[in-house]
Amino acid sequence: MKDLLKALPWIGPAVALIATVVLFPVGLMFWNSTRDISQSGVDKGGVGLDNFAAVVGFDAFWPILGRTVVWVVVVVACTLVISLALAALLNKAFPGRRLVRMAVIVPWASSVVMTTLVVHYGLEPYFGIINSFLVDVGLIDTPEGYGWTRHAGTAFAWAMVVAVFVSLPFTTYTILAGLQTVPGETVEAARLDGANGVRTYLSVVLPQLRGAVSVAVLINIINVFNSLPILRVMTGSIPGYDADTVMTMIFKYMQNQRQIDLASALSVIAFLVVVAIVAVYVRFVRPLEEV
Amino acid sequence: MAQYKRLGGIMAITLATATGLTACGFGGSSGEESGGGTTLDLLVPSYSDATQGLWNDVIAGFEEENPDIDVNLQVESWDNLESVIATKIQGGDAPDIYNGGPFAGFAEDELLYPAEEVVSEDTLADFQPTFLENAQVGDTVYGLPFIASARALFVNDALLEEAGADVPTTWDELLESAKKVSELGGGVAGYGMPLGSEEAQAEAAVWLWGGGGSFGDADAITVDAPENLPGAEFIKTMIDEGATQADAGATDRSPLMDIFVQGKIGMQVGLPPTVGQIESDNPDLEYSVHPIPTEDGSPFTLGVADHLMAFQNDGDKQEAITAFLDYFYSPEVYVPWVQAEGFLPTTLSGSEELADEEALAPFLEVLPDAQFYPTTNPDWQATDSAFKALFGQLDSDKSAEDVLADIQAQVDAG
Repeated sequence: MKDLLKALPWIGPAVALIATVVLFPVGLMFWNSTRDISQSGVDKGGVGLDNFAAVVGFDAFWPILGRTVVWVVVVVACTLVISLALAALLNKAFPGRRLVRMAVIVPWASSVVMTTLVVHYGLEPYFGIINSFLVDVGLIDTPEGYGWTRHAGTAFAWAMVVAVFVSLPFTTYTILAGLQTVPGETVEAARLDGANGVRTYLSVVLPQLRGAVSVAVLINIINVFNSLPILRVMTGSIPGYDADTVMTMIFKYMQNQRQIDLASALSVIAFLVVVAIVAVYVRFVRPLEEV
Repeated sequence: MAQYKRLGGIMAITLATATGLTACGFGGSSGEESGGGTTLDLLVPSYSDATQGLWNDVIAGFEEENPDIDVNLQVESWDNLESVIATKIQGGDAPDIYNGGPFAGFAEDELLYPAEEVVSEDTLADFQPTFLENAQVGDTVYGLPFIASARALFVNDALLEEAGADVPTTWDELLESAKKVSELGGGVAGYGMPLGSEEAQAEAAVWLWGGGGSFGDADAITVDAPENLPGAEFIKTMIDEGATQADAGATDRSPLMDIFVQGKIGMQVGLPPTVGQIESDNPDLEYSVHPIPTEDGSPFTLGVADHLMAFQNDGDKQEAITAFLDYFYSPEVYVPWVQAEGFLPTTLSGSEELADEEALAPFLEVLPDAQFYPTTNPDWQATDSAFKALFGQLDSDKSAEDVLADIQAQVDAG
């Protein structure tokens, strides 16, 4: 107790910061999810769990949840596989490695909305550069191109491509950092024992990357689950709810229908899902455990 | 113990990221009263790049005449405007004067001053009567008609001539002309039909009302009604027969208008500012402006009026608000503002002054036949978003009846 009091001046600001920017909004979100809030933002009283019933009872709720799972699993899995390969490449000495390492950071350094918009415009019929290219090489036979972002399936797939692209730098660098802690002797020993390159990588290097990979995956899961801008730009003009994830649905409740109460209820659900995923992950993968 | 510390750290990370989206619930509090005078907060959307400058000029002029009143200007994009105002109201920080579209919800919540309490009688008498009617909730006028727009059919004369098609006045003629233009090939589309989320409600009104339907009135929203079916069915016919651009259901209006301006679309419904856009982006385009074709060829246009409204807040700024609004609506201030943005005026004196503007003439001509969205219905906001979210499904296997029924269902649930 005395120790705590002594520590207070040092941890006080951090605690205050967490309370105001993390705990308070969370509390408010839970509170709003049980209120009836008018479209202009006036609180009309408590309604218990009615908002949750309305959100879960919405026809498209379960498809949206399913699509969110697909979104997270596919994006994180692709990101991880490509990042492992990239990190292995960047760990080798070759002329110009410094430049290539810099280039990998670029998607990270530029705004996600910008990156997505560039791809989105490229996919536009009539003037998009990707469409023009596909028309010129003869893969599309309508002269104005194909409306990639006008169909739920293709728009969602392209959104995944962009999501993987912007997730690569962080994941690659986390794994690259992990690779540099792998002692050279272990690899050398494997070689001496006659293991080939693939075998060495899978049996010796990869197990030692466990810490780096599991942290990267954890943070990617949270990030990708909560990603809004990419899907918002890519699938924004599509009617109906065939390309929505939980996050874009929260946004539609909030921005389009101005149902702050329903948006809060769905946010609470999303929040609980993330907490559950992280709890399970931490319990079984122990990402912060020493190797 | 160590285990718990780690778990705590991870939870903190999760909390921080998971709440990122919903944490933006409170806006900062705006400027405090300064120097003993009154401060008016003004929240407006951006109509064009010039909007902020135009307002700054108005405010500078006003503050010169009224040195004891300060005006705080906040400009937001249309996309954000409605969530900004909702957030501000929720945080007890509503602006004093707000420029927006729908206002019935605010009036229902008793947040607004009635118009007669915040402008002088002379100013109130100068508004076009049809616009004032459209600004009432019950018998009380709450919104001050601000600027208006009307729609008309923009026709690419060169394409129609090349295809040997005539400018249509009825739907059947439109279908025929549009198909002829589409048959030119090379990516050219006959009719530009934007049913994407950006402004689906406008294209819906053009067709459903043009076929004798309506969205309802101040008391009831009636989207799922038999008189709306002909319009919805004809949209499907246009799409199925290849008279429109590809993927009409998910095409937004502004990007499609860009393609019209580039000369790749035969006909599309546009707004007064479209004239200015063509002027600056592609002045060589051979085009003309005509009334919107309807089922039986009778004249009609979709009118839209945005409104200024005054929030009551503490109730102690009524005089300052009145002074500002009367100043703004004086013709010397108001007309140049409207003219610079390329819209139509809502005041009688404004219409007189602009009567000989050539570019606005086709629109001022159709203005008497204007029909308006039922914006005074408290459910209008829900209707608007239901159209944006669902109307584009006409471009799918779904039947017109089902699409209208779904929209009605979402409105009734909201």
